[in-house]
Amino acid sequence: MTVIDTSQPPAGPARRVAEARPSLLLGEHSLCPGCGEPIALRLLLEVLQELDVVQRSIGVVGHGCYGSFVRIMDVDVLQCLHGRAPACATGIKRVRPDCVVFTLQGDGDMANEGLHEVLHAAARGEKITCIMLNNGVFGDTGGQLTATTVLGQRTKTSLAGRDAREHGYPIPVAELVAGLRGAAYVARGAVSTPGAVVQTKRMLTRAFETQLAGAGFSLVEILTMCPTGWFVPAREGPGYLGDSMERVYPLGELTT
Amino acid sequence: MERELVVTGIGGQGIQLLAKTLALAATREGRYAMLSADYGGEMRGGPSKASVVIGDGPLRALPVLASAWSAIVAHHRFSEPVLARLRPGGPVIVNRPLVDPASLPHMTVYDVDAAAVAAAADAPHAIGFVLLGAYNAVTRLVAPESLVSAMEEVLPPYRKQYAEANARALAAGADAVRPQLERAGEVVA
Amino acid sequence: MTLELLEGSEAIAASAIAAGCRFFAGYPMSPFTGLLESMSRLLPAAGGVCLNAASEIEGVNMALGAAAAGARAATGSCGQGIALMQETIAEAALNETPLVVFNMARNQQDYFQATRGGGWGDYRTITLAPKNIPEAVEHAQLAFHLADKHRAPVIFYGDPLLAQTRVGVEIRPLDFGPLPPKDWALDGTRSGTGKSRQIWTWAMGKATQPGPGPDRHWKAIAAKFDAIAEVEARHEQRYVEDAETLVVAFGTAATFVEYVVEELRADGHRIGWFRPVTLWPFPGAALAQATAGTRRVLVFELNAGQMLDDVLIHAADRSAVHFIGGVSIAESGLAFGELMDAPVIRDRILAALGRETRS
Repeated sequence: MTVIDTSQPPAGPARRVAEARPSLLLGEHSLCPGCGEPIALRLLLEVLQELDVVQRSIGVVGHGCYGSFVRIMDVDVLQCLHGRAPACATGIKRVRPDCVVFTLQGDGDMANEGLHEVLHAAARGEKITCIMLNNGVFGDTGGQLTATTVLGQRTKTSLAGRDAREHGYPIPVAELVAGLRGAAYVARGAVSTPGAVVQTKRMLTRAFETQLAGAGFSLVEILTMCPTGWFVPAREGPGYLGDSMERVYPLGELTT
Repeated sequence: MERELVVTGIGGQGIQLLAKTLALAATREGRYAMLSADYGGEMRGGPSKASVVIGDGPLRALPVLASAWSAIVAHHRFSEPVLARLRPGGPVIVNRPLVDPASLPHMTVYDVDAAAVAAAADAPHAIGFVLLGAYNAVTRLVAPESLVSAMEEVLPPYRKQYAEANARALAAGADAVRPQLERAGEVVA
Repeated sequence: MTLELLEGSEAIAASAIAAGCRFFAGYPMSPFTGLLESMSRLLPAAGGVCLNAASEIEGVNMALGAAAAGARAATGSCGQGIALMQETIAEAALNETPLVVFNMARNQQDYFQATRGGGWGDYRTITLAPKNIPEAVEHAQLAFHLADKHRAPVIFYGDPLLAQTRVGVEIRPLDFGPLPPKDWALDGTRSGTGKSRQIWTWAMGKATQPGPGPDRHWKAIAAKFDAIAEVEARHEQRYVEDAETLVVAFGTAATFVEYVVEELRADGHRIGWFRPVTLWPFPGAALAQATAGTRRVLVFELNAGQMLDDVLIHAADRSAVHFIGGVSIAESGLAFGELMDAPVIRDRILAALGRETRS
């Protein structure tokens, strides 16, 4: 597969695209080279602007590397307890039904600590949009096994690779949520290739449109690169994602 | 003045409903009332107790009564600890023959065969309201018509069809105790 | 004045709604269930929302979200469920969300839980312990006022008698004075303006508007709770002037103690009572003053001795303090046991006075 060469700054039009920044972004992120989460943040902020809902947007952010985004996103934000974002977002949306309310969570946050909250919010058909940045590891603590770590993946708490007999099987969050009637839009995207980025942005747009239409709960699971937590060079992150996670977590829309 | 009533019986006799009716009747008359319930998990057959306090000002009585002025004893089972707290001389309505009137020598006892009176009033389910009618005839704590409207108010929607029979039971209870009141020559209240 | 005959739970719910509570989320548990059912019945008609949470943890976080968005919001449970909420209660204290928590407890064993808490960080929780249903009705409104006034969580400490007894009460909005505007609340209007809001325990702010950060923020929080302790401690006392013996009790137990003390005074005993109305801040200065001239300080509470710690800290003479309470639970496990009874309390006080118990 084609891997984008990031060893040199892009030239010409590509450079302008790379350096364009949504005005909702207040500063530079501080995450590792090759991390996929800042791409997801940028898509989220662009979508809020394109849908013209910025001044009624409220975000609820969980705990992970992306938690530092609360400092650089020009959006009203509640930084909540680990895993509880869908519950907090529910409370916000119920008392401010005209606001556009979203959560930003990782796989550790949503699939480990807070699976209960996201499933119940989805089952209630809560008119919120939950975004899960899924990199299959606890990135913020240095690469330990999460509920979404794929079989065979080496982490600091599964040194020989995830073994189903020892660690159980990974949890496909999008599929679980899609099985609930309250979920009106469920999709899984990725930020590992230009095509996937474009597709993921479209998914985010549809998820927020679902919320704006009052149709029910929406979830976008986004596969993101974590070369540091995967113990691979930054430039190999997208390829690794395609070879491992994407095979277990197929991209596409599950509920529309 | 505060007046305390303790009601004791078994589940299914309408203990809670009669206590609530009296407390609500007093409230609707603009007085202060307190109602405490204490009943077992079972709907029928377990202990069922309630206490009602009525006063003209904010109440001093505790939610677990230290002592009580009066009682309605619908069944002898489970009644002992309740009756031990009665202040001597106060009025007690006992449900004959389930309760022996002679078992409370230190009280002013009025006995009513509530099942027979209820049956005669064509309200066989309304034993509790017969006892309440009798109690209020003796104590005159609230106006009889307040009892009737409170009874109608406390009935859940699916029991509204019993309102007329319950009203007959309240009146029949009062009638049943009247000869004993007349013999005593005065009203206790 | 028109009195309504309401079950305590219903009266507390109606009063909270009269105070402007518009969001409630809870998980059933006796004797808290009545409050949840009442909220579920009454809130929609008031334009509010009551959610059946999937757990106490979800419920308290829903309420935190609603409070962060500016609504008067509450949750509740019993001590066991409140235990699950500790992390969020601490979070609300540290991120300054005015969250109200109704602990319709099964007994008085949650004193430490309420006043010491089980969350992390340097935080406190204002705790109101009403003595009867009329005061519970007042506290249901005061709780929201204090929460908004201080941007801090407030615990309402109820019990089975407050939850389940029916009394004639009047519910009307109470005015506790002006409050600062909730300009910190999340409503989305500042998103995209460069001045968007942030509610965060670490208070680091935004890249363009840095916040104080954890060290300065948590020092400020600690200073805030010190200031609250100075102004919000409330107590009630009677017969302190001539009392040789002072009985200290809180919540419904204090009502029983008050009743017994009246009886004992009628019998000629020089006895008085002291009741902390706020468990935190504990009215320590007032207790020190009240106990300055007493020979005995008796602590009555239905637990193994929890408020006892605070009395020992503040009493003028620690050696005068005696515990006359104890664990006392009904057979069901859901209510007070036989110790919550005037004759029993009277016997314990008389025993402590060294006199023969009267039958």
